Amino acid sequence: MRRSKSKGLKGAFVGTLAAASLVALAACGGSSSTSESTEAEAATSAETAPTGEETAAAEDPITIGFVTHVVGNPFIEQIIDAAEQAATDLGVEIQVTGPAGADADAQLKAAQSLIASGVDGIAISVPSESMVQGLNQIIAGGTPIVTFNLLQAGVNGPYVGEKSVESGRILGKSILDGLGGTGAKGQAILGNCFPGFPVLENRAKGVQESLAAAPGIEVLGPFDVKVDAAENYAKWEGLLSANPDAVALIGLCAPDIASLGKLKKTNPDAPFIAGGYDLTAENLAALESGDAQVSIGQTPFMQGYAPVYMLVDAIRNGIDIASPAFLNAGTEIVTQSSVQEPFDLPPLTFTELLEISASPEMSREYYQPLVEGVIPNWQSELKPIGDESS
Amino acid sequence: MTNCATGIDSRKGTAVRADRKINLIKRGRRLPDEIGVGAALVALIAFVSLIQPRFLGIDNLLNLVANNTIIAILAMGIVFLLATGEIDLSFGYILNITAVVAGLLMIAGLPIAVAVIIALVLGAALGAFNGFLTVLFRLPLIIITLGTASMYAGLSLVINRSGSVVPPKEVTNSEYFQFMGGLSEFPISPLILVLVVTFIILSFVFYRSRFGYRVTALGSNPEGARLAGIPVARVRIQVTALMGLLAGLCGVLFLSFRGAVDPTTGSGYLLPVIAAAIIGGTPLTGGTGSLVGAILGAMVIAVIDTGIVFLGIDAVWSTFVTGAVIIAAVGIDQLVKAQRRKSRN
Repeated sequence: MRRSKSKGLKGAFVGTLAAASLVALAACGGSSSTSESTEAEAATSAETAPTGEETAAAEDPITIGFVTHVVGNPFIEQIIDAAEQAATDLGVEIQVTGPAGADADAQLKAAQSLIASGVDGIAISVPSESMVQGLNQIIAGGTPIVTFNLLQAGVNGPYVGEKSVESGRILGKSILDGLGGTGAKGQAILGNCFPGFPVLENRAKGVQESLAAAPGIEVLGPFDVKVDAAENYAKWEGLLSANPDAVALIGLCAPDIASLGKLKKTNPDAPFIAGGYDLTAENLAALESGDAQVSIGQTPFMQGYAPVYMLVDAIRNGIDIASPAFLNAGTEIVTQSSVQEPFDLPPLTFTELLEISASPEMSREYYQPLVEGVIPNWQSELKPIGDESS
Repeated sequence: MTNCATGIDSRKGTAVRADRKINLIKRGRRLPDEIGVGAALVALIAFVSLIQPRFLGIDNLLNLVANNTIIAILAMGIVFLLATGEIDLSFGYILNITAVVAGLLMIAGLPIAVAVIIALVLGAALGAFNGFLTVLFRLPLIIITLGTASMYAGLSLVINRSGSVVPPKEVTNSEYFQFMGGLSEFPISPLILVLVVTFIILSFVFYRSRFGYRVTALGSNPEGARLAGIPVARVRIQVTALMGLLAGLCGVLFLSFRGAVDPTTGSGYLLPVIAAAIIGGTPLTGGTGSLVGAILGAMVIAVIDTGIVFLGIDAVWSTFVTGAVIIAAVGIDQLVKAQRRKSRN
């Protein structure tokens, strides 16, 4: 039980290091997470902002907290880009935060810290049921919350996301079409990167519903294929090794298409076709090379832009949003030869989609019809929360 | 000669007690060892408050403590393990499985108190199982818990069918859940009270009980402890059972505070909990530890995490800073030890 005085010095050093780190980060990173709504930017954004928003900067300053379930994920980054564009357009501050890996407790703590720091509203993805009570306490305290991407129906606020069961049905049908229709035969393997997430479970349900139309198709899974890219590839590789004659490998998360495309490249003779979710650069590359057949997009622009718009609108105009409701973000269906966008958006070629996915500015420009149409009319577009899984 | 009551050779036991007395006297003459981490905590709070005065609000600070109670309690458990020279990687999943079992028992209609007791016993049993395997295979706990962590995580997924466990309204509307969830009129979060009570009990166990002596003796010199008559295997199992019990307690607290438990609950605690104990001054080499330091370490991490939000810094840096502090803590610990050895020679 010997202790030395020098341990006290150690603690002081550690504290100094931590403080120094914070100083350094405050100096170099402070501006990176907030949308600097300078006058110049406000002037620039006025060209694209909806009518009536030009006076936004003159009103009380509003800060929106934007909390994601993971940071550094390409799909989530697309959502964040759109949220920051909304903040710029509306002349508000936005603070983006979230845990490095899926950690619901850390995410809820981040939301609570944002409240303590004085934000006026929070947009948050909700991966876990254990966050619901804490979020409802925040709402009861008077801070509006809009959820996006990952749904927990118990949260007393609107949700912006895809129709999860329906998007699964679309994916299942696309796969079945690729296999030749309801007469197809063989094994289809279903992978879920995060078993237990309601949205993912719903997607799985939709895929299974569509595949059930082909009596000759045997669905194996859903198997846990993990969300980390390296683990995800290893899991799919193992599944293919165990089932080399599988005719379809179907993922439900962003990393799957990239993994399956790589798997197809290294196993060109394997008979499977691949399908999954999200339009990240890696996934689009797999589609472009023909190593994957179909990817379902969930319109990340809508999922980032709309929650910020709704919060600012609710705060500025005193709109009560403290009850569950659903705003459909739409479903995109992308193959090598076709791109189907929701909300009657202008048609896109695959090459144009590639360019848009890589450029937040081009994405903002392409989705301008949403900024002028569905998003400002969000109140009339809201549906009962049950519609999300219908 | 072995003392039957303590299990320690009476001469060695007397020597150990004399050594501790001398240390206590020495401690009285100088500042406590935790002054460093305490000062670090104050400096961090002062720094963030200087830029964002709202951070210093009493409500914010109390919430900060309450929100990190689980990390602080688990860190105190890790202090016991580190004092024996071991590290447990499975406690997050013990937390998960105990919370899941407690929730399912409540859903099945068992009284809350019974479900809580079963969860605590289960936690202790899973912890003891870790210790039993360590003794059986004569392997470090870190290796055993590499396996059992996955076992417990998988078992929990099987039990909860890969979904969240949410006790029904009649349970979550009970006085217990309302109180523990911070929904009652009670002025501070009950989690803070649990932290204080747990700290008092563990302090007695660590610093004043025969078990505490044995834990530090085992970590200081395992072979010496064995020769001194300390039942090494039993102490190893007891200390892992204690860690399991604390993880079970945290599982119950999590369920009570959040009103639900998810398949991923508990997986994020490993790094901050071990970091808290190490930042608090507990070395990896065993033989000593600081419970106050563990709590202060947990609060340092909490202030870093919350401070980053207050300062508007991207959350990705939170993980970086936490990691940097751990590396610095461990590195400085080794440098200080080397310096002390050099001075002695």
